[in-house]
Amino acid sequence: MSADDKTALAAHAGAAGAARAHYAGGVVDDVMVVGVGGQGVIMAAAIIADTAMLGGLDVKLSETRGMSQRGGSVSSHIRIGETVVAPSISPGEVDYLLAFESAEGLRLAPSLVPGGVAIVNLQQIVPPLASQGEFAYPFDAIERMRAEGAAAGARAAGGEERAAGGEERAAGGEARAAGYGVIAVDGNAVGEAAGSIKVTGVVLVGALSTHLPFAAETWEKAIAANVPASFLEMNLAAFAAGRHVGAAEGGEPA
Amino acid sequence: MDKVLMLGNEAIARGAWEAGVQVAAAYPGTPSTEIVTGLAGYDGVYAEWSTNEKVAYEVAFGAAMGGARALTAMKSAGASVAADPLISSVYTGVNGGLVVCLAGDPGMASGMTEQDDRYFGRISSMPMLEPADSQECYEYVKLAFDLSEDFDVPVMVRLSIQVAHQKSIVRLDETMSGEETGRPAPERKPPDRKTEKYCLLPRFSRPLHISLLERFERLRRFSEQSAADGVLAFVEPAAGADVAAGADAGSGPAALPLRPAALPLRDGGVARIGVVSAGAAYISAKEALPGASFLKLGMIHPLPIEAIRRFAATVDRLFVVEELEPYLEEQLLAAGIACEGKRWFPQWGELTPVRVGRGFFAAGLDLPRWAQEKAAEDVSVIPRPPVLCTGCPHRGMATAMKKLDLDVHGDIGCYDLTTLPPVSHMHSAVEMGASIPMEQGFTRAGGSETGSIAVIGDSTFLHSGLTGLLNAVHQRTNVTVLIQDNSITAMTGGQTNPGNERTLAGAETKPVDIAAICKALGVEYIEIVDPYDYQACLDALKAGLAFDGPAVLITNRPCMLFPRKVGGAAYVVDEELCNACQQCMKLGCPSLSHTETTWKDRHKVAIDAETCTGCSLCAQLCKPGAIAPATATKAGDA
Repeated sequence: MSADDKTALAAHAGAAGAARAHYAGGVVDDVMVVGVGGQGVIMAAAIIADTAMLGGLDVKLSETRGMSQRGGSVSSHIRIGETVVAPSISPGEVDYLLAFESAEGLRLAPSLVPGGVAIVNLQQIVPPLASQGEFAYPFDAIERMRAEGAAAGARAAGGEERAAGGEERAAGGEARAAGYGVIAVDGNAVGEAAGSIKVTGVVLVGALSTHLPFAAETWEKAIAANVPASFLEMNLAAFAAGRHVGAAEGGEPA
Repeated sequence: MDKVLMLGNEAIARGAWEAGVQVAAAYPGTPSTEIVTGLAGYDGVYAEWSTNEKVAYEVAFGAAMGGARALTAMKSAGASVAADPLISSVYTGVNGGLVVCLAGDPGMASGMTEQDDRYFGRISSMPMLEPADSQECYEYVKLAFDLSEDFDVPVMVRLSIQVAHQKSIVRLDETMSGEETGRPAPERKPPDRKTEKYCLLPRFSRPLHISLLERFERLRRFSEQSAADGVLAFVEPAAGADVAAGADAGSGPAALPLRPAALPLRDGGVARIGVVSAGAAYISAKEALPGASFLKLGMIHPLPIEAIRRFAATVDRLFVVEELEPYLEEQLLAAGIACEGKRWFPQWGELTPVRVGRGFFAAGLDLPRWAQEKAAEDVSVIPRPPVLCTGCPHRGMATAMKKLDLDVHGDIGCYDLTTLPPVSHMHSAVEMGASIPMEQGFTRAGGSETGSIAVIGDSTFLHSGLTGLLNAVHQRTNVTVLIQDNSITAMTGGQTNPGNERTLAGAETKPVDIAAICKALGVEYIEIVDPYDYQACLDALKAGLAFDGPAVLITNRPCMLFPRKVGGAAYVVDEELCNACQQCMKLGCPSLSHTETTWKDRHKVAIDAETCTGCSLCAQLCKPGAIAPATATKAGDA
């Protein structure tokens, strides 16, 4: 074993310890990946789930299939912890919402837990139905999520104030944690810079990775297990670029 | 130990392969499809996409009679198609093990109904195992093969979509993991040649029914014993300190329920809560009420009713949590075991943890987590149902049928995706093969003013359309039938059918000629139509409807996605020429969208060059001639 190997192994072991510590005591991270059929939601979910498994955790994943290539809404649920029971996330309990398409992000935003984080791709895919005039496509989806995330925080803080009997400062401090955060990512542009818009999904996974307690090497192993070998380099570049975006937006890479 | 994340269906395939399955046959159907797709990937397994579920069942049944271990898989509706051999094969029994994987769809993610498949076990006396996660899928299917041979019956592994389509960690058998080719060559038993066993003439089937009742009684004892041993049923929490009265000390975990902790009720009291459940419902119940004591069943037919009775004696209130019908609840009540079930938990849809939690809450349990209804999504955001792909060859005919305002009797396939706006041309889509007989009956009832038509795809036609068409011809009914032949089973993800040049295993085969079949059935009017030619679609429909006698129209363009993605030169809209007439938007093409520019308050249209395949239908519908191939426009600009 070379010195480099040993260093890598030690780093890996350290990160594995960090992951175990994060999930000690029954913590479960609920990650929902949403988008439009054909965008690569299922593969991104597989990478996240494989990372958790490689990180030594229990993981369950459930997804919509069958219709996945027909342009409909698709979602995958990934639950990570020491022991995971149900494969699907209950309403209002999503910790991380990874949206490949902004209107899909807006649709599922109410499922976020207070203090949850939405990572939303700027891409907008207008369904044919919008053309019929019955429904309007929400071009302002990200702004609405930002407003709603802050409003949810304010509502929760209001409740907190009443409960705390006027300790306003403390209650105000709760506001940010009780709403949800929104991180907008131009995944398609970052993906294209990494080689192709086809790796946009891995860019978004990279942004998410800064919020979960797994080492970059663990993520990279999971990516290698899920993409064709000939595209691995491009996908790893996309992951690194996404991780960079995630870190710049306040994520803390393990 | 090799740990892998597997879909429930993939784990079934893996377990079956390890158990030595040699023959697997199925017709694709969500959520069962990945089982046989998976088996096709393993060495030493003959796997096929059969023409329908009944045929698939019979292929597997014949293989079992021939001494091999065999498997068939189907969705709920497929079990109805295969019901005849499903029920008869329990009488005859098997030689090599026969496992029937039946994947139900509570919540109807893709099914036409959410029938409760567990009644197939009761109606047939076929034993049923129900796994709750991928690990159990992997283990139960192996056990199912052993049971099938030990008890001389086919064994059902009953799945629900939540188990079939979830991924969880499977710990693979160390002796089998590693190289996938490492399976020892399965041993085939000598083939059966037993007239009295396989010929269901009354003189043989009467004693076979009596033998079945005896076999079932042995299965019942097995079910009780395995529950007592904690093999196919277990109690949680498992550590059994307090042996309740009546429990058989010295037996395994399921016979040793501990005295469960009392849980708080909303009225301030407490109660020891027991839950009897299986499969996906068990997972949801455990998520919803982790503090309860559970009797988790693995064998759901025949039930280990005495094990359930012992468990019931250890709790104050016994709940039965199950999806759809009160299948378990009624059997418990019939056995005199007091329990609560459908009073609290819905009889329709998927039983998610929140729906189970709400039920426990309504039943009086103090459950803050489930006290409040929480929104899962913002339903005011524009709906996004699945749609026909850009360039789908079904689109031209759908739009033409809408234009002619026909009464359209559809079938099961992608063409159902235009049932919804903007095309919304279809008036029935009920079950496989229904289109032609329903069109025949509709015509016999007097038809409609504008005309009526049956619409069916190639795979569905070959599955169960032939007999309906034969009947219409024989009865000399003036039906019009459109066969949308896209040369693949598209809806379930591109599986092969007899119209293809290759089988599932990749072997070359002779594609069937659908027009020749229709001719052989006695159809005198057959027209092949290019569905990318809108005027030709209209003309063909009119001519077919006008013909006096059964008429068949067959489209001839392949699916855009399978077996390979079809591409082509994109079209582009000249915004100057576009007068926002909206004709092209009637196609419901995902590549067409409105621009910000308007004309008489209507939005003009743009084409997404990335996704357009150049099918040209929009250009054909465009009145001002504003749509043309991108290359032509570019040349014109230059």
